[in-house]
Amino acid sequence: MSEPSVLERLRLSGSGGAALRVRFIGVLAFQVLLIVVFTALNPRFIGWDNAQSILFTAAILAMAAAGQTLVVLTGNLDLSVGSIMGLCAYVVFDVTSQAPWLAGLTVPFAVALGAVLGLANGLLVTYLKIPSMVATLGTLSVYRGLVSFYANAMEVTSGELPQWMRTLATVRWLGLSSYVWIAVLVVVLVGLALSLLPWGRKLYALGSNARAAYYYGLNENGILVGAYVAAGGIAGFVGLLLGAQVGNINSLLASGIEMQVLAAVVIGGVSIWGGSGSVYGAALGAIVLATINNGLVLLGVQEFYRLLIQGLAIVAAVAVDALVQKRVLTATRRRVILEVAA
Amino acid sequence: MSRVLRSFSAELLLVALIVLAAIWSSQLSPYFLDLNNLMNSAAFFVVFGLMAFGLFPVVVQGEIDISLASTLAVASVLFAKLSVAGVPVLVALPVVLAATALLGAVNGVLVAYAGLPSLAVTLGTLGAYRGVAYLLAGDAGVTGLTPEYTFLGLSWVGVVPSTVVLFLIFAVVIGVLMEATRFGRYSYAIGSNPDASRTAAVPVRQTRVIAYAVAGAAAGLAGFVWVNQYQSARGDNADGAILFVLTAVVLGGVSIKGGSGRALGVLLSTLLLATIQTGMKLANVPGTSQTLVIGLLLIASTGGPQLVTLLRSAFGRVRRTSVSTAGG
Amino acid sequence: MTESAFTRRRFIGIAAAAGAAAAAVPLLSACTTTAPGAATAAGSASAGGAKLKVFMAPKFTGLAYFEVARKGGEDAGKELGLDFQYIGSDKAEATEQIATLTNAVAQKPNALVVSAIDGDAVAPALRQARSAGIKVVTYDADAAADARDLFVNQLSYELAAQTMLDAALLNSPEGGLVAFISASPTAPNHTAHVKFMKQNIDTNPKYSKFKYVDTVQFAADDAQKSQDIALNLMQAHPDLKVIISSSAVSAPAAEQAIINAGKGGKVFATGVALPSSVKDFIKSGNSKAFMMWDPAELGYVATVAAAQLAQGKITTDKGTKIDCGKAGTYEVGEAGEVLYNKPLMFTADNIDQYSF
Repeated sequence: MSEPSVLERLRLSGSGGAALRVRFIGVLAFQVLLIVVFTALNPRFIGWDNAQSILFTAAILAMAAAGQTLVVLTGNLDLSVGSIMGLCAYVVFDVTSQAPWLAGLTVPFAVALGAVLGLANGLLVTYLKIPSMVATLGTLSVYRGLVSFYANAMEVTSGELPQWMRTLATVRWLGLSSYVWIAVLVVVLVGLALSLLPWGRKLYALGSNARAAYYYGLNENGILVGAYVAAGGIAGFVGLLLGAQVGNINSLLASGIEMQVLAAVVIGGVSIWGGSGSVYGAALGAIVLATINNGLVLLGVQEFYRLLIQGLAIVAAVAVDALVQKRVLTATRRRVILEVAA
Repeated sequence: MSRVLRSFSAELLLVALIVLAAIWSSQLSPYFLDLNNLMNSAAFFVVFGLMAFGLFPVVVQGEIDISLASTLAVASVLFAKLSVAGVPVLVALPVVLAATALLGAVNGVLVAYAGLPSLAVTLGTLGAYRGVAYLLAGDAGVTGLTPEYTFLGLSWVGVVPSTVVLFLIFAVVIGVLMEATRFGRYSYAIGSNPDASRTAAVPVRQTRVIAYAVAGAAAGLAGFVWVNQYQSARGDNADGAILFVLTAVVLGGVSIKGGSGRALGVLLSTLLLATIQTGMKLANVPGTSQTLVIGLLLIASTGGPQLVTLLRSAFGRVRRTSVSTAGG
Repeated sequence: MTESAFTRRRFIGIAAAAGAAAAAVPLLSACTTTAPGAATAAGSASAGGAKLKVFMAPKFTGLAYFEVARKGGEDAGKELGLDFQYIGSDKAEATEQIATLTNAVAQKPNALVVSAIDGDAVAPALRQARSAGIKVVTYDADAAADARDLFVNQLSYELAAQTMLDAALLNSPEGGLVAFISASPTAPNHTAHVKFMKQNIDTNPKYSKFKYVDTVQFAADDAQKSQDIALNLMQAHPDLKVIISSSAVSAPAAEQAIINAGKGGKVFATGVALPSSVKDFIKSGNSKAFMMWDPAELGYVATVAAAQLAQGKITTDKGTKIDCGKAGTYEVGEAGEVLYNKPLMFTADNIDQYSF
């Protein structure tokens, strides 16, 4: 199987790509299948109330997955996402609980802190040329170490949070939790940035074929650092929201979430090799995971099966990806040949 | 001579670091330079070391397997269950190792034949195999193992724990496999350039599946050592161990992009991590600092060489500029 | 890569293999089953003069609950003039604790005070400690009985179960449907608590107003996961009244999830929780009661017992009295189990008295 050219990949990728559409419909079909199966097994599953619940539990994961998508599209990884979330949540809440006049600045503070940590990731991957898996595995430990150092086994309790954060998770707009709307906003913003900004197209190009992107004169390092900074900023913001939702925060917040985030991204059809996939797919992947968790509790099924089912879902998702990609590539190649012939 | 030195520069760096870590550790704690304690501590790292050597050929081929710790749990639970059921260890050992090799091969087939990304595949089986381990173990841990299943953990060759001997033998076997067999040659070729290997008639798919099966078997062997040392098994055994294992492999100079790295490096990096951890634990360094040190070590060792290059070129440019100015 | 490189590689490899095989044969025949140097006992403590060295190892560091218990241990250390050290990893993994304990043994302390993360897996390391003359006292979570001298149990499983049900009754006096969230299927005390709670609901008339959801959910002491499960449980069982958890992370997180879902005061979460983490729930009236014990005093009692064991002041025989001064006197029961058994119920009336 020969590698398709950059232009070819560019045409395939992005929001207009046929592969993407097919893949998105695939996840959607899987989600519908889940709904049908769970409803058949327990009729209580279907209903607005439960749907609200599922969307609420998916919100945090969907936003974290949106940030991760930016990095994965370039063919890299950010394993430190959970540590960034935990660090930003703890530090920002601790600082604002001691200096209440800063309460209005929590969001910019968290985003900035996350962006700085993301910048460090980006610099390690680009300028020090450390493979992203290794670099962010290292910062996963370092950032978590920093937050536990800072926290010194203490907790920020819900009473210490700024008032508006304490109640944010209970707020409802148009029948849905504020978290769901915020997640929609974040995902759509990232989606628009990817499809409208030149930077977004370059991200795809870089992920499709880094060497070719280099020859086309793309500033490889700049684009990649940008992706990490954006992902870090989003992780900081999501950490803040998770902290507000959880109430009592210790240094262990969001540890291990990277596996869930990656699972959402992969199930949502973002290629782990980079270059293809959409942020909307990743968000849908988060909803699929939340649906599985919800359905299994509704059926009174134990944790073990959740691990099994989730694992199989991931493998199935990438298998479908491979099939779709092969199909579309062949079709595109045929079309290109026809165009050339004509 | 200098060429030999240069080709082993990663290993030499590791040796230097080990010496430094040992000196540091003996400064940190007066208990460090106690042979018996060092040996006991070494036994602790056998489980991780076995998995690292299992992962090593997979990474050389440019792939990854993050499901190994879950495979270990399947093995430890199977061993414990078979022991309690009265199956002789010499029967259980090949059966369980074959089972875990099969679990590994499943990963391999999905990666090599279905062409799926290994990180995603093993992310899936990481959960799935863990689920299997929990299902096999049931609600509680398995205890009451027969002595033949715990013999290795309670025996010594001279002062060396038997499990450490087992690890060294396994390390040599993998080393030979990678250095002196067709499998090894193919692995490096595949890792360097899979497309070229395919055209050069290297059986890429079979070689990949074999590597994953070996990794699965290594995790199975680690599960065997687990029950020997800890005389029990639970579904959550070794949960989270893969980070340490991956760190050991990468620190050993095995490029995560594939195509390079030697068994000696993996052995030395395992030794280095063991030295540092033992030293810090003996000095009762708080857990937080331990996490920080390992993370920083990983970043520094992989990013260090490039940093030196960057600095050198930056200074070089300055010097060149000043020379040319002087000349002009 | 040249062919000569291969040949050289192969030669080195085969030589190494042959060497290893040759070395393995005599080595294996020299295999022994006695630990080299195992007989070296820890410095005899009762000899007076030198400070007693006592190490406390929690399941993992960084959790507020263990930090409170540490303070109790440090207090005991100061009063008794101990060399007291708090050791452990910040990762909640059995292997990490095993490494911690193995290296603790090498430092020849007089006693270890341990909360076992996997009571069976850490047992060999603790047995090694005991055979080196180190006294082992477990607190909070026990290890295999033959791997420790004493277990200072905060609450008997039966009493813990009843106290949690009492807390549930305070929240929902009219009873109703109860669901359980545990840390993991491998946490023996959580499993035992749930078993006794189910038994009590089935047989004890005091709790007959309750019914329960049979499947136990596991949240791995993770706040977010606890919340997701709590939310899903409420969806699964619209008539759910109480969620009970033995995890000090899950219980408050579940209550927060209930409040987030706008069901505060209608559905309740209760169980084990630090008073500081549930103060706001109780003050706002969303919750009536949570329970725990005083972790600081538990740490104090365990450390004192460890020191007295090391000094030879007490034995582990059934009926032995352990005088812990201001913290009271306790008696060794069956199989070296010392029941601390001082449950605390946190309600609006007393929550302000507690500072941990």
